Amino acid sequence: MRANIVKFNIGFFFVFWLSYLCWFIGHYAYFAATDAKKAGVPWSLKLTGEGGFIFALLLGLIIGNFFRPFAKFIGEALKPEFYIKTAIGLMGALIGLKSAEAFGLASAVLFRGLCAIVEAYLIYWALVYFIARKWFKFSREWAAPLASGISICGVSAAIATGGAIKARPVVPIMVSSLVVIFAVIELIILPFFAQAFLWKEPMVAGAWMGLAVKTDGAAFASGAVVDALVRAKAETAAGIKYEPGWMLMAASTTKLFIDIFISIWAFILAYIWCAKIECKPGEKVSGREIWRRFPKFVMAYAITFIVILLISAPHAPKIKPVEAQIDKIKKEITSIEKQLPTVADPVQQATLTAKLDENKKKIKELQESIKESKNIVSQTQIATSGTNSLRVLFFLITFFTIGVMSDFRKLWEEGIGKLAIVYLICLFGFILWIGLLISYIFFHGVKPPVITG
Amino acid sequence: MADATTIKEELEKMEAEYEPLLPVEKKLIIWSIGFGIGLLFVLVWISYTFFPASHG
Repeated sequence: MRANIVKFNIGFFFVFWLSYLCWFIGHYAYFAATDAKKAGVPWSLKLTGEGGFIFALLLGLIIGNFFRPFAKFIGEALKPEFYIKTAIGLMGALIGLKSAEAFGLASAVLFRGLCAIVEAYLIYWALVYFIARKWFKFSREWAAPLASGISICGVSAAIATGGAIKARPVVPIMVSSLVVIFAVIELIILPFFAQAFLWKEPMVAGAWMGLAVKTDGAAFASGAVVDALVRAKAETAAGIKYEPGWMLMAASTTKLFIDIFISIWAFILAYIWCAKIECKPGEKVSGREIWRRFPKFVMAYAITFIVILLISAPHAPKIKPVEAQIDKIKKEITSIEKQLPTVADPVQQATLTAKLDENKKKIKELQESIKESKNIVSQTQIATSGTNSLRVLFFLITFFTIGVMSDFRKLWEEGIGKLAIVYLICLFGFILWIGLLISYIFFHGVKPPVITG
Repeated sequence: MADATTIKEELEKMEAEYEPLLPVEKKLIIWSIGFGIGLLFVLVWISYTFFPASHG
């Protein structure tokens, strides 16, 4: 990253502790508790502990916009893309375990995520490009990165497209600045909107965050916030306790596929620009070009996901049905035990006792049959819970650093007013709503597993 | 970062020196949207048929 190690360490000291302070505040019962009475407080914002993400973002925005000298002082450690990519790599393990436990649901989410982004890519990009070119009279050099930045995946898409069409570096940089500002605005507004209107369709809410919120950091972050907010709402409004992480998985799946697809789209654009628009003799677009543009951090996610999935997939699905069977037998035992003292007939007593023994034996056998699987899954759970704590920490730092880097005044001074208008029109005119429609088409009725007991 | 005035000026200048949409750009836009809408039906069918996930 070519960072100055000393400056990075000093900056990171503040970044880490200020982020952690926000996490600490986020867990204050008045903000976090989903059941205020149980927590012993008169009221609560019901944000869950993950409300700490929002506090980190807000503190970051305050520092970035009102304490600029301090923001500059810690500037070397403000690397949200690095933090979020690390978090994504770590998240692969968690998703791998979840997928093993609910393989059918996970494969549906993965496939539907892929469908959603193919749709979003094809429709969004063309519409934004048309509006930028036809209505706002942007040149091709500006319109293509702008279309990718607004419609697809923010910073990395704008940069990849800029490279594909050989735009000057300043073009994707300007677009990226704009993308970051709007991503922060989306991050603040959309999760609460989703909580209010989509809490009955949790996976739609998650996928919508992945499709609508640009930049990896903000999209993953909004997925995490939506996960927390919607779960809290479902629990308080309907008494449904959803397993955490599934909405985040929908958001991250769509976002990751978007990241992978950038390289393909960049290749298509590079080919069209090279062959049809700015045709230069002897210039070719190769497979190597796709690889060069491929976002490599996705591989970290894929590797951790596959490794954990391979370890736990043969074992995790066995456990739940057997445990359900054991629960059923246990209930039967309790009922027999209650019945036994009331029975006077010795023959009937003997029958019940025999049945009791048989059930106890059956439980032992069933427990024995999943002993090894349980052991492996519990070890995997221990491993993923360790990486998950780190993932949460990196998420938190990402929120904080995105906030600090969003200096609104500076970006406005750089003359992005016209670009901002295109962004505003496209984002609120159709990107959000088409994204919502696509998410609804592919994810409505899909529900995360419910925690029972 | 490039000089702010230069970018402001460049963005303003673009309107006067508008590059009209080339036929290949129009084709890209139409094909992309058309393909997207057409593919929507195919993908919905595949996902509902082969990847069901308890639709309510």
